[in-house]
Amino acid sequence: MLEYIRFGIFAVLLLAGLLVEVTAVLGVSRFRYSLNRIHAAGMGDTMGLLLIALAAIVYLGLNAVTVKIIFIVGFFWLTGPVSGHLIGRLVSETDEHFDAEAKLWKR
Amino acid sequence: MEALNVILLVFILVCAIAVGRAKSLLSSVIIFMSQGLAMSIVWIMLRSPDLAITEAAVGAGISSLLMFVTLKKIHAIKEEGSPEEDAEEE
Amino acid sequence: MRKKNKALAHLQEWLEHGDNALEVEMEEELEEELPPEAPEEDHLEREEKEDPRLNTPKKLEKHPAFERWYRVAAVVVCLLLVGILLFAAVHMPNFGQADTLVDSELSAFYVEHTLEETGAVNIITGIILDYRGFDTLGESHVLFIGVCTVLLLLSIKGEKDQERRIWEDAYDRNFEPRHDEILQTCARILTPLTLVFGIYIILNGHLSPGGGFSGGAVLGAGLILYQNAFGYQKIERFFTFRTFKAVSVMSLLLYSCAKGYHFFTGANHLESGISPGVAGNIFSAGLLLPLNFVVGCVVACTMYALYTMFRKGDF
Repeated sequence: MLEYIRFGIFAVLLLAGLLVEVTAVLGVSRFRYSLNRIHAAGMGDTMGLLLIALAAIVYLGLNAVTVKIIFIVGFFWLTGPVSGHLIGRLVSETDEHFDAEAKLWKR
Repeated sequence: MEALNVILLVFILVCAIAVGRAKSLLSSVIIFMSQGLAMSIVWIMLRSPDLAITEAAVGAGISSLLMFVTLKKIHAIKEEGSPEEDAEEE
Repeated sequence: MRKKNKALAHLQEWLEHGDNALEVEMEEELEEELPPEAPEEDHLEREEKEDPRLNTPKKLEKHPAFERWYRVAAVVVCLLLVGILLFAAVHMPNFGQADTLVDSELSAFYVEHTLEETGAVNIITGIILDYRGFDTLGESHVLFIGVCTVLLLLSIKGEKDQERRIWEDAYDRNFEPRHDEILQTCARILTPLTLVFGIYIILNGHLSPGGGFSGGAVLGAGLILYQNAFGYQKIERFFTFRTFKAVSVMSLLLYSCAKGYHFFTGANHLESGISPGVAGNIFSAGLLLPLNFVVGCVVACTMYALYTMFRKGDF
């Protein structure tokens, strides 16, 4: 019984993670403007990765691998949003058609 | 596992062709980078983690970084009406 | 003939204004003018007269027959090479086949004797730094030579490059945000982690997957991250050209000395006086740990130096 519940949780988490990733890929390929694309890509980096990592933890159980997976998630949560922020800043500074897609608040 | 292997190898092939056929140099560098990442996964599946670490660090990280810097040096990535162009004309 | 003059006028215009559209137009006209059955020699002579942009060597133009044969020969040589390689590939043993004759003896020898002879749990490090240590010595020197070449080509030290130096300094971070606080906070957390991970890979090279090359690449990536986040002034507090020279030259010297000692004692693990130690300990495997460290230093310095030279032309 317990095995079935565990498998069910694993399956639900994995499918949710895959759904998020597919949404991210769809967003990256379908959106027109770069900022929207960054938004979509960042979702896959954070939420999708977290869900898939949780699924892996549930599937493998608590052991040394769990710690590594948590480290991977932490690393991605550190780097992914920062790279998204940098790309966004680069776009806002260099794109000459930037006014067409977004409005920038100048302090 | 077999299916994943085949998918990765096909991905590498497609990337290798797309590097040559990409329109801008920037996109071909990015495609080259993704090819390096897929290559490192293939190394792991061939059970040589040594090579996988090196490929991920060098192939996907540093070599593409060097190519980006070179593209910037030769003004392949250029901002319209930037001070760089004025400096060139002078 | 009139068309020819027109083309010449276009060319003149192009040389003066450097317009791309004109160039395309002119080339189209040149193609139009050339009848398909025109003899090859005539075409070549005309080009020689008309197109001062064409910088092909004079020798080739004077001998059209030679050029034609040169092209044919190039194609034939390429096809021959492809054929030979394909022929060799057909005769290669199948991938992953267990009983290949090619070097099963050698691999069996390595698998059986590496642990006992070199004391390295990770057989790959044992092979590349011990049995084939001379190869790795050459590879480290290749990296060093690469950096030297880049220094020769891209360095902008000196009097006459002052202008370019000022230009580079002014436009170096043109597309990059300076002093981005988010990036700096992230780099403050990540750089130590990356460096520690690189050192771990290097020092555990004889115990777990990894070694000098991969660890050095990770170290170099960490240095590049730090440089990108904080700029040159911060990183020049601890990594300058002097550091690069000292570290890489000392590393190569140490490596050469270690290999020289190894060869001097017979290169056969006999009477080197260094015991392999207990396999699995961090201080084991004789010379492998310092050699890994040395290779890691060389690779990290090389990566950072290459990046800096490509980026700024200076340390």
